[in-house]
Amino acid sequence: MTRRSQPSSLWRQRQGPLTRELDQRPADFGLGLVPERLRPDATTGLVCGFCSTGCGLQAHLRDGVAVNLSAEEFYPVNQGMACPKGWEALTPLRAADRLTQPLLRRDSSHALEETSWDTALRVFTQRFKDLIARHGPESIAFLSTGQICTEEMAFLGALFKFGMGGLHGDSNTRQCMATSHVAYKESFGFDAPPYTYADFEQSDVLVFIGSNLCIAHPILWQRVLKNRHRPEVIVIDPRATETAMAGTLHLPICPKSDLVLLYGLARALMERGCVDAGFVHAHTTGFLEFCDAVQEFTPDRVCEVSGLDPKAFARLVETVARGKRVSFWWTMGVNQGHESTRTAQAIINLALMTGNIGRPGTGANSITGQCNAMGSRLFANATGLLGGRDFRNEAHREEVARILNIPLPCIPVTNSLAYDQIVERVSDGRIKGLWIIGTNPSHSWIEQGRLRAALGRLEFLVLQDMYSTTETVRQAHLVLPAAGWGEKDGTFINSERRIGLVRKVTRAPGAALSDFNIFRLVASAWGCGDRFAEWSSPEAAFQILKRLSAGRPCDFTGIADYRMLSDCGGIQWPLRTGEVPVTERRLFGDGRFFTPDGRARFVFDSPRPVPEPADAQYPLILLTGRGSSAQWHTLTRTGKSAVLNGLAPVENYLEMNPADAQALGLTSGNRVSVTSRRATIEVRLRVSACLPPGRCFMPMHFPETNRLPLEVVDPHSRQPSYKYCAVAVTPAVEL
Amino acid sequence: MLAEPRTLIDELLAEQGALTAVERFSRLHDQGLAEGSRYARLLPQSRPRQGQQYSFEVDLDQCSGCKACVTACHAMNGLLPNEAWRDVGQLVSRSANPPRLQTVTTACHHCLDPGCLNGCPVLAYEKDPETGIVHHLDDQCMGCQYCVLKCPYDVPKYSGQLGIVRKCDMCSQRLESGEAPACVQACPNEAIRIRVVDVAEIAESLRERRESFLPDAPDGRITQPTTRFMRRQEFAADTAAVNADEPRLQPPHWPLVWMLVLTQMGIGTWWAALAERGAVRSIAFILSLALTAAGVTASVFHLGQPLKAWRAFLGFRKSWMSREILAFSLFLPAGLTLLLLNSPGRADLSSRDWLPGAVAALGGLALLCSGMIYHDTQRPTWRGWRSVGRFMLTSALLGSLVISVVAAAQEVSAAAWPWIIAGLALIKFCFEYRWLRVPASSVSTPLHQSARLQWREMRRLTWARLAALLVGGLMFPVLIASQPPIQIAAASLALCWFAEIAERYAFFRTMVSARMPGV
Repeated sequence: MTRRSQPSSLWRQRQGPLTRELDQRPADFGLGLVPERLRPDATTGLVCGFCSTGCGLQAHLRDGVAVNLSAEEFYPVNQGMACPKGWEALTPLRAADRLTQPLLRRDSSHALEETSWDTALRVFTQRFKDLIARHGPESIAFLSTGQICTEEMAFLGALFKFGMGGLHGDSNTRQCMATSHVAYKESFGFDAPPYTYADFEQSDVLVFIGSNLCIAHPILWQRVLKNRHRPEVIVIDPRATETAMAGTLHLPICPKSDLVLLYGLARALMERGCVDAGFVHAHTTGFLEFCDAVQEFTPDRVCEVSGLDPKAFARLVETVARGKRVSFWWTMGVNQGHESTRTAQAIINLALMTGNIGRPGTGANSITGQCNAMGSRLFANATGLLGGRDFRNEAHREEVARILNIPLPCIPVTNSLAYDQIVERVSDGRIKGLWIIGTNPSHSWIEQGRLRAALGRLEFLVLQDMYSTTETVRQAHLVLPAAGWGEKDGTFINSERRIGLVRKVTRAPGAALSDFNIFRLVASAWGCGDRFAEWSSPEAAFQILKRLSAGRPCDFTGIADYRMLSDCGGIQWPLRTGEVPVTERRLFGDGRFFTPDGRARFVFDSPRPVPEPADAQYPLILLTGRGSSAQWHTLTRTGKSAVLNGLAPVENYLEMNPADAQALGLTSGNRVSVTSRRATIEVRLRVSACLPPGRCFMPMHFPETNRLPLEVVDPHSRQPSYKYCAVAVTPAVEL
Repeated sequence: MLAEPRTLIDELLAEQGALTAVERFSRLHDQGLAEGSRYARLLPQSRPRQGQQYSFEVDLDQCSGCKACVTACHAMNGLLPNEAWRDVGQLVSRSANPPRLQTVTTACHHCLDPGCLNGCPVLAYEKDPETGIVHHLDDQCMGCQYCVLKCPYDVPKYSGQLGIVRKCDMCSQRLESGEAPACVQACPNEAIRIRVVDVAEIAESLRERRESFLPDAPDGRITQPTTRFMRRQEFAADTAAVNADEPRLQPPHWPLVWMLVLTQMGIGTWWAALAERGAVRSIAFILSLALTAAGVTASVFHLGQPLKAWRAFLGFRKSWMSREILAFSLFLPAGLTLLLLNSPGRADLSSRDWLPGAVAALGGLALLCSGMIYHDTQRPTWRGWRSVGRFMLTSALLGSLVISVVAAAQEVSAAAWPWIIAGLALIKFCFEYRWLRVPASSVSTPLHQSARLQWREMRRLTWARLAALLVGGLMFPVLIASQPPIQIAAASLALCWFAEIAERYAFFRTMVSARMPGV
């Protein structure tokens, strides 16, 4: 007899309303037992809206509204698992600080006050049109996000550039994925991450460079653990991270010595005869030049620069050399550096020269950040023209004009400025009106003090967001209330190029509208509604995107509609018309790349010194990064979940080696001042041997962290280098 | 298509409110759970036999800190927005080379000798005789939260909204129907399993190992937890909880602060009254009962479900809280009866002198039980004299002060009281000094952490209460020793009373909580 069926007595009350709160009943829908209160009458699947892993979630619906959420059992990405952010994805939607009405800053009181959509749209169009009239189209710009649907990104880019006549717009994907985008484009001829998640399971050697997969992409680590080939897992990271602990070899290199290490690895592999000459000869160009260029990176130099033990380096070479199916994976540790594009390409070069590409368990694989960074890379219409095209290419412009049925002169002939250049122009007053969509630059952009000062100079700042309490709201003149993930339909593209479906499973609060519908309103108010008449719904826009992809490397014209995406558990591009979708699909199995000659390029450069080395005044190197799997970026969403907050550090902290702490007379728990040339902030100290002496680490999720680093961008990708700046640490004044 | 903007806004707002996922995409198939196969390896093959029970087994080599278990438990058990039955901590090696980092998923350990169960005054806990799962009876609970303090692992979670505590029951409903618990199902790395363990074996291994099952975890011999944490490598000697040096302030438990100070003041007054005669004594007895009754009343505000408190004596066999409640419910009626017997017209109580003494003894018993409640939590800042002694001192000091005020009001000579008060205040000050002393060394015991919290987070209150104790307890009585005017006596009492309230607040706030390492 189960406890719950035992009778109550006067002395033992085993039944009652409180007990019933937790009573479970079979839920059907493959869910097993669920609390009776939350028993669904239907379920539907949707892709998670946090990171680029792109897990399938199952929304438990009652009367059409999601009452609970679980990981989807049969989705090919996550196979029934989700990380805490996914499990808690509904909670941030119910937060008390959701925007429910447009807000307008009154000139008189300087306070944001509720207003109607009507007024908001009138102000929006009047102010932006006025700026264009007075200062030209280059005086306005937008900053968007990798967190909205592909259909919305494309609509925004098209509306801003082909409807409103603007020229400059970029997205916060600049902060996470621009490097991979540029690296792939130069090396492969198109921004095409070649892999599929099954490669995690099929490698015999996995090399992670600047990736804390266990924390940043926990569900992908699950795929690594499903690998039955007893793989070597090499983790190259200055910190002893969770992933480094779980791997078989950790190489704690000096920060930003990765390019030297990777060139040295290439040289050592050449010396051992590990070059796949047949593949290199048939499918690549530039190998001989690369071969010459890396000759100077001898093991001695590698170990001197990286600080690695020669034996550890030898083991790295040995392991990669012996591997039959070697896959290389990188994330922000590579992408956020002062020479990040060449570093990513050094990884690509390794895969190319050893023939570790196009086969199961291989590849030079960038693991993306945001849920739809990949959508942004193809369709944001910001620095590149829709569908991975180039604004400067006349043929491309003609294609797009034809597909969208718009006049050719509407399409700008130059690519947009990048994020940092937009900020620069805001700062010097050339850009006077800015439209920010779904991102929180006042917290997230590097060298925060400069960014905030720049935003303060704007004549008109429009923010389109879900929440009224983000750091950026405080600087906005007009705030548009947006519906969030789960409150709208659309598609995301994940790291392995899988297009997945997002669905409306709950209602947005008040008068909040999906970004898609806000763009429809703006188009109509601006007076260019006709030009975007076909963009009537996300699914209609999806059909436009299909046409834009036709004949491009990312061709997905074979996907009929949303229904097909739903039935297949997402579909990876490319899927050309007539092709039958498969569950896992990798690129370059035929050795043909997307360059005009079909050959991959070896791209390389000499390493450059770091812009701000440690010195006597600022003797420590500060790294920043993801601190916990329960936190996402600037905490606008995860900070709304009590459960996630409970799983995250209660306050910001600085991690430091015991030797450094001892030299400063500090112990764990002390409050310390961390000073860079930009700012001083106060945090709690955590002493840990996970960092070698001379380096320290601070999580990026707390608002003050980004005040410290120096605004340096990679010259090719213009991605900021968050992971290296010089700081000094002193005891905080404490009584 | 191009409508007036007004119309389009309305149209889009209406569209935003329409939910269509059901018609378009929902799955209406009533497919059951894929029969156990997926989780079969993670569940025991058979039910526990005699001398066995279920336990969690955690493969630490697989736990990589994703924390999905916590949120899956939360979602699949339908917990409140801020409620979590599982937690993930982190251990780090402070100096070892190579450095080590270990995340630890942890929930209820379904102990062999559960602290929660032993402490519960209403017997709202049951250890299932067959499975060993420690169940909480949600409708039996009166919300006193004593189990929260009794559990060394911070497992039972109190909800102000529900007014009760709830905790992990190993998803016993799922286990009964052959499903895996939510955390087991949700771990991407299959690090959590359910196993059948031999009770004797667990007890034996805990007895042998002097320290606990994990570095920096509370002593396993207190409650005999059954969870097994597996790891290929031994932990390095310098492994510690990642936040070991970041003690956090704990809930103040205001009703308990008032309850403890008032009941102790009340009983102390009774004691001190024994030394007096006549009107002073009679007034003091009345005050004593009033103060104690007020304290007992205050404690009711600590309960989430006060109407269920009538069962509070049920746990008297094991729970010091039940015993305390019994003792107070004897002291108050006994004292009241005595007062009624002593009402005008009846014989003076001095004729039956053993009676007030007996009531005083009952009060002492109640005080002892109060102290034992906290001592029994095994928390270092509350052990032994740190609770029992502290409460006795409060009692004596405040009781003496009350008597000195009553005596002053009655203009009765009470020359000895100022010196007694000063003596008690001095002892109390020494007591405080020991508690608040922060050693120079970096060794961080719970006691040091408690002291640090008081000098850092509660600095002003700490200074204020020490000053109040010195001025009210020591300076005033000594300066105006022989016959204090009532104003001074009352000021003395008020200052010391403030000092005691503040001290009791600190007692709860800076209790360095017992919990799994790094959570």
